[in-house]
Amino acid sequence: MSAPFPIIRDADRVRRLAALPDVRPRALERLREGAVGVVGVGGLGTAAAPYLAAAGVGKIRLIDPDVVHATDLGRQILYGPGDVGRPKVEAAAAALGIQAPATVVEAVVARLGADNGAGLLAGLDVIVDGLDDGRPRDWLNAYAVETGTPVVFGGALGYEGQVVVVAPSGPCLHCLFGSVADAAADCAREGVLGPLVGVIGSFQAAEALKLLMGLGTPLRGRLLQIDLFGGGIRVLPFAPRPGCAVCGGQGVPRRG
Amino acid sequence: MMTLTVNGERREVPVVATIGELLDHFRIQHQAVGVLINGEVVGRADFGSAPVHEGDTLDIVRFVGGG
Repeated sequence: MSAPFPIIRDADRVRRLAALPDVRPRALERLREGAVGVVGVGGLGTAAAPYLAAAGVGKIRLIDPDVVHATDLGRQILYGPGDVGRPKVEAAAAALGIQAPATVVEAVVARLGADNGAGLLAGLDVIVDGLDDGRPRDWLNAYAVETGTPVVFGGALGYEGQVVVVAPSGPCLHCLFGSVADAAADCAREGVLGPLVGVIGSFQAAEALKLLMGLGTPLRGRLLQIDLFGGGIRVLPFAPRPGCAVCGGQGVPRRG
Repeated sequence: MMTLTVNGERREVPVVATIGELLDHFRIQHQAVGVLINGEVVGRADFGSAPVHEGDTLDIVRFVGGG
């Protein structure tokens, strides 16, 4: 009788990644030693997290207060009918555990806010924003400015999505948008094309991996906008705004 | 009328004095909207006073909140 699964060595898993011209062995170590937070495990989070695990990220902390609903299944592709009613972080952690057993996955049932945020995000190297409303994003942006922890922001609604990285030496989210607490975010009302969250979440995963490995050019101070209806992509560069109420026009300071 | 470049396209719009008036012309809410005029970010508090001139280049982006 043969074993149910062949033994997959870590070196095999990342061989295609290691073949990339800019990826040095040290970069792979950084992934293995790295800890990434995925705040919100809905459309964006379920797209980003499997790519992080597949690339050999050492630790992934999933944070989300909600359970899986039947209306999520059209776009949140880590979940199946059997997960409906189950906490999202629990269902996602189980799926990632099968996909990449060497990755430590922490499942935290919690809603990120000012009261608990710093504790929930302690020890993370990069944060992927998979939230579905504006208010905690305001807090997350302030956290990035305060601590220098890079945050890969993403949003998706209707046919339209965007990605921007808030990281040291770059502007913050508030520089461009002001408070985003009242931003349109209701997929239930406005609808969303399923693959949109995959496109945006995958972009976020790529940015998080680049930040961890220290390679490429991050989308820092550049807003990526994707329109799946018309089939267009635009990148809008922006600098810290003098007088910004969050970063004071100084952008995000260096960490530590 | 005045000619502006808005999100990469040349647009003829009725003469407006400020960014706030231009957003109102396009019926864009002022919440969670980013505006760059000739590449410089304008804060929301300044929408009502920041001037718009013939030939200016504007980028208007709304924050997309869903996830």
